[in-house]
Amino acid sequence: MSFLPVVFSSPLMLAALVVLPAIWWLLRLTPPKPVTEVFPPLRILAGILKREETPSKSPWWLTALRMLMAALIILAIADPVVNPRVGTLSSSGPLALVVDNGWATANDWERRVRTADALITEAESADVPVSIVFSADRENDGVPGTATAARTRLAAAAPRPLRPNRAEAVAALRTGLDGTRPGTLAFISDGIASGDDTVMRDLAGLSPQSLRLIEGDGGDAIALTGAVNEADAMRITATRLESAAPRTVALTAFDTRGRAISNGSIAFAAGEATASGTLTAPFELRNDFARIGIDGLATAGSTYLLDDGFRRRRVALLSGEARDQSQPLLSPLYYINRALAPYADLVQPTETDLAVALPQLLEQKPSMVIMADIGRLPEDTTPAMTRWIQNGGTLVRFAGPRLAAAPADDPLVPVRLRQGERALGGTLSWSEPQPLAPYPATSPFAGMPRPEGITVNRQVLAEPTADLSQRTWASLADGTPLVTTRTLGAGRIVLFHVSAEATWSNLPISGDFVEMLRRVVQLSRSGGVTSEGGAAAQALPPYRLMNADGTLVTETGGARPLEIAAGATPVADGEHPPGLYGSEEGFVALNLLPRDASLRPIESTDLPMPYTSEALIGSEAWSMKPALFTAALILLLVDTLIVLFMAGTFTRTRRLRTAAAMLAIGLAALGVGIMSPQPAQAQAVPPTQAAPAQGPFDDTRPGDDDILGHLDNTHLAYVVTGESEVDRISERGLAGLTEFLTYRTTLEPGAPVGLDISKDELSFYSLIYWPISANAEMPSAAAISRIDAYMRAGGTVLFDTRDQLSSLSAVSGTSPNTERLQAILSDLDIPPLEPVPTDNVLTKSFYLLSSFPGRYTGSPLWIEAQPQSTGEPSERPARSGDGVSPIMITGNDMAGAWATDDNGAPLLPTVPPDEMQREYAFRSGVNIMMYMLTGNYKADQVHIPALLERLGQ
Amino acid sequence: MVNAVGHIVDRTPSGEVLSRAQSRAALVPDCMVEARRIANTVISGWHGRRRRGIGENFWQFRPYSDGESLSRIDWRRSARDDHTYVRDREWEAAHTIWLWADLSPSMMYKSRFGTVSKESRALVLMLALAEILARSGERIGCPGVMEPVSARNAAERLATALMHSDLSAGLPATGMIRGWSDLVLIGDFLDPAPAIMDRLGPLGRRGMRGHVIEVADPAEETFPYAGRTEFTDPETGEKLTAGRAEILAEDYRRAYFARRESLGEGLRHMGWTFIPHRTDHLASEALVSVHMHLSGMPGRATHGGQL
Repeated sequence: MSFLPVVFSSPLMLAALVVLPAIWWLLRLTPPKPVTEVFPPLRILAGILKREETPSKSPWWLTALRMLMAALIILAIADPVVNPRVGTLSSSGPLALVVDNGWATANDWERRVRTADALITEAESADVPVSIVFSADRENDGVPGTATAARTRLAAAAPRPLRPNRAEAVAALRTGLDGTRPGTLAFISDGIASGDDTVMRDLAGLSPQSLRLIEGDGGDAIALTGAVNEADAMRITATRLESAAPRTVALTAFDTRGRAISNGSIAFAAGEATASGTLTAPFELRNDFARIGIDGLATAGSTYLLDDGFRRRRVALLSGEARDQSQPLLSPLYYINRALAPYADLVQPTETDLAVALPQLLEQKPSMVIMADIGRLPEDTTPAMTRWIQNGGTLVRFAGPRLAAAPADDPLVPVRLRQGERALGGTLSWSEPQPLAPYPATSPFAGMPRPEGITVNRQVLAEPTADLSQRTWASLADGTPLVTTRTLGAGRIVLFHVSAEATWSNLPISGDFVEMLRRVVQLSRSGGVTSEGGAAAQALPPYRLMNADGTLVTETGGARPLEIAAGATPVADGEHPPGLYGSEEGFVALNLLPRDASLRPIESTDLPMPYTSEALIGSEAWSMKPALFTAALILLLVDTLIVLFMAGTFTRTRRLRTAAAMLAIGLAALGVGIMSPQPAQAQAVPPTQAAPAQGPFDDTRPGDDDILGHLDNTHLAYVVTGESEVDRISERGLAGLTEFLTYRTTLEPGAPVGLDISKDELSFYSLIYWPISANAEMPSAAAISRIDAYMRAGGTVLFDTRDQLSSLSAVSGTSPNTERLQAILSDLDIPPLEPVPTDNVLTKSFYLLSSFPGRYTGSPLWIEAQPQSTGEPSERPARSGDGVSPIMITGNDMAGAWATDDNGAPLLPTVPPDEMQREYAFRSGVNIMMYMLTGNYKADQVHIPALLERLGQ
Repeated sequence: MVNAVGHIVDRTPSGEVLSRAQSRAALVPDCMVEARRIANTVISGWHGRRRRGIGENFWQFRPYSDGESLSRIDWRRSARDDHTYVRDREWEAAHTIWLWADLSPSMMYKSRFGTVSKESRALVLMLALAEILARSGERIGCPGVMEPVSARNAAERLATALMHSDLSAGLPATGMIRGWSDLVLIGDFLDPAPAIMDRLGPLGRRGMRGHVIEVADPAEETFPYAGRTEFTDPETGEKLTAGRAEILAEDYRRAYFARRESLGEGLRHMGWTFIPHRTDHLASEALVSVHMHLSGMPGRATHGGQL
């Protein structure tokens, strides 16, 4: 174009340009405002300041910049429009309009209609008839009619989610014109060739006076042609018209309810017509993909429908043995379960009887049945199973002792098996356990890394046949097949020649096992397979159809049922528009473009007559307003930066400098964003992860400090009875024991803690000393229940009735304290008790003790009775298992013996007054604490005599 | 202006300054003014004159000469031999120190680099000196504000007197200052050095010993201005606009330090001391310096009499 035909929408605004000189004058006059500073030593400054260094006027180039800015704004308001439409119509014959309304026209359909309408209007004023045909419509009437009729048909036309069938349209036009030579033939094209059509040649064959090719931006169309589920992502392929410009588009995957659940992008390199991109999402999420669309392009071609071929499969699991839940690691199904649970819905039979279980499972229409070590199916279930496989089911079998022992004529194994199994490695074998060979290229496992570290000790062997290697998916290093397969009807049988648990090989506990099973599951047919009916071609009714905007609608008016025949890929056409065919339970997706199709431009060379090429209305009538405003904004930013720089903002302080730089960068980024909205959109910044909750998350609770204070160290604890003297002795006694422990052992407990059992947290203390006092208040039922929970959770309560002396002299036999203890214990879940046996750990856990005295001596220390081991020899000393007795009862007033004052002098005398008894009381306390903290670890001590004897000492 | 480096502050209340001064003074040991130049006054003080006179401390026994008051005879000493002795005491005199702080508008300045305004710092120094010197029994005066007093609460009295008087007019008449006094002048001394020397020269020639503390704000010394800046003199209101202040910084600093240098040189020729002090430094620094000069500490020898 040699010149720019510019038209101003509001030319009056240009009058404002006359004020530019005034603006010039104003701008030259006003210097930037200085910063005012108080400065006492002004006289010193005045001595050195040179007057001429303070410019009172802006530099001329700054003023020019601002002038330019003002001029740009005035021009922008005047709204110049470049290249308004010009054109004339030949009036020597009817106007023939061929309008593309295929999938690629959906985006700019409005402008296409306007363009056609403008042509019709011109024809109306030139008084020529108009013939109009639409290339994607099934029926066209090419007979020239009035402009009004043409306009009505134009208004009724809509883009269709189909590829245009231009040959038919041109044929309709030819029929309609019936030999009349059209004046102007205008082809409003989407620019994409449909099949092998030679539309331009055909149109030229109509020999019009003038031929116009009006192209929209159909060249921008992008079509998705395939989606493949890969190991960690879904790979999407797309095609476009070959273009020199690189282009990146954003992909979004939607689920069945239209929610966007994953994002990705496809980047076309310059000059490339096809590209592929990935949608990275977890496998579970990819199962939910229902539709993939290109952001900002809502056409039928840029939407790719996925059917339930991508869905999770239902997998039935069968095992030959009754499952032993107590040893799950030996159950073959355990590993399959763990491997497949993330990828498939697993169903397991409720019955162990295979004759009942198998039909039950098949009724649930599984995609795949996994049988682990089932030698032979019951006779009457085999036909049903075979039918199920022939209908498309996948049977995966694992070997095992039962399969190895099964007769060789099993119809449900992929290869003939030799009876018995082959053991590799072992005492009587020369062979070593075998690793796996690399997966063959024909196997679905191909592409997985070479299996390392997997060894097979035992397997079932296939009889060698000619086609064995083709049927082998994986083999051992020595070439014997490990995984074999056979197709049976539409289905498939897969046999793993090892067992599904880790006894025959370590494959089930390797990551390859998961990947292998996952790939086999992906191979299986989804949507459920029944064992009834044949494999005849299905006719699927339309379920949801895609409209031109790429959205699914329930309107299925003109669509015919889709015939699905084996081996034939259905193609979308006028009778079968793209969409979902089937029903809610299962459907097949029919996409606009066949897999791996590519878009080509319309052939327009070698035409017998010249043609003019132009663009749609509204595409070239280009308003310069946004560009002018953008330029003005950029100048404003530049001016701001200059002024900031001249005012010394960048040198004043570092903080200000940073702030200004941030501001400037932000503004510049904004400006760039305004200038080029397209790239900014296309960059498609992935949505940032939802930021974790910011700010201090405070989960402290009242009392945490107390708890932390008690957790730093072991503390001895006692129950506060409410009787001050008893509590004082308890506290002093435990303090004395603490001191003794610190002195004699490595245990250095903290200060003793008095507990209110009705509300204090008990679980921090391994032992709670509870002096029973008949005078104290009876603890509440809730408190006793807390004690019960404490004992059940592993804590120990040492009850001390402190009545050994009084019970000797008591007439009735039981003292009040003992009665109180009985009252307390009546609500507790108490195991059977016994006095500490001589071989109990308590007697040996630190000191060797034979009795546990306190202030008094003579009362036994009762602990939980250890179960009598009937089968074992009674000499074995460590009789019981792990348990530490949850309860200890004594009457010897231990705290009384331990109690010391601050100087370490005992508070209470022992009865009888024997200081050795006090020493033994302390040792009892040490043993009890050691027993509490170490459990039966110290039980080894009871072996000491035997060990010493063995050492010969 | 929010971004301005410095600004004018209000006058600091005397009470606040006094408490700060007392806390600074607590950090500094007592200061006994060097005795060699003590004024020959009859007012008793703590400066021993190494000669007999009025005082409390024993100086000498000398034989009684006729005509002296009999009450001066030390009978206890005289009873030890045949002569009669008189107990002489050492003449102990007080020294007068005049303190003066310049509180002109230029002192009411604080930049964001300084911790306090110059006026506040000057008052703190003055009152802290008063506190320290009064603690040592010196007589404290302030020309035009307070006659010299020898009182333990001289600092409080000075603060009270300051509340009722105006120090903004520059150094007042110094006629009442007699020779052999010490004079401590605190101010910013931003006038040209010759002008200052013209005013201080007569004082030095009258025999007074002077100590000049120049209080400066860091902004005045470092000139941290940049960009187009309009400078205002707080005393005269004169305005001066610099197009790019940062290019002036070098010249300004040179001029500023040259002025300080010549002022210090002139004062040292008079035998006075000159102590520059910045408000972003601790007041104690200046206090210790002036303390050292007043008491003739040995530090003078090591520093050659200069800071």
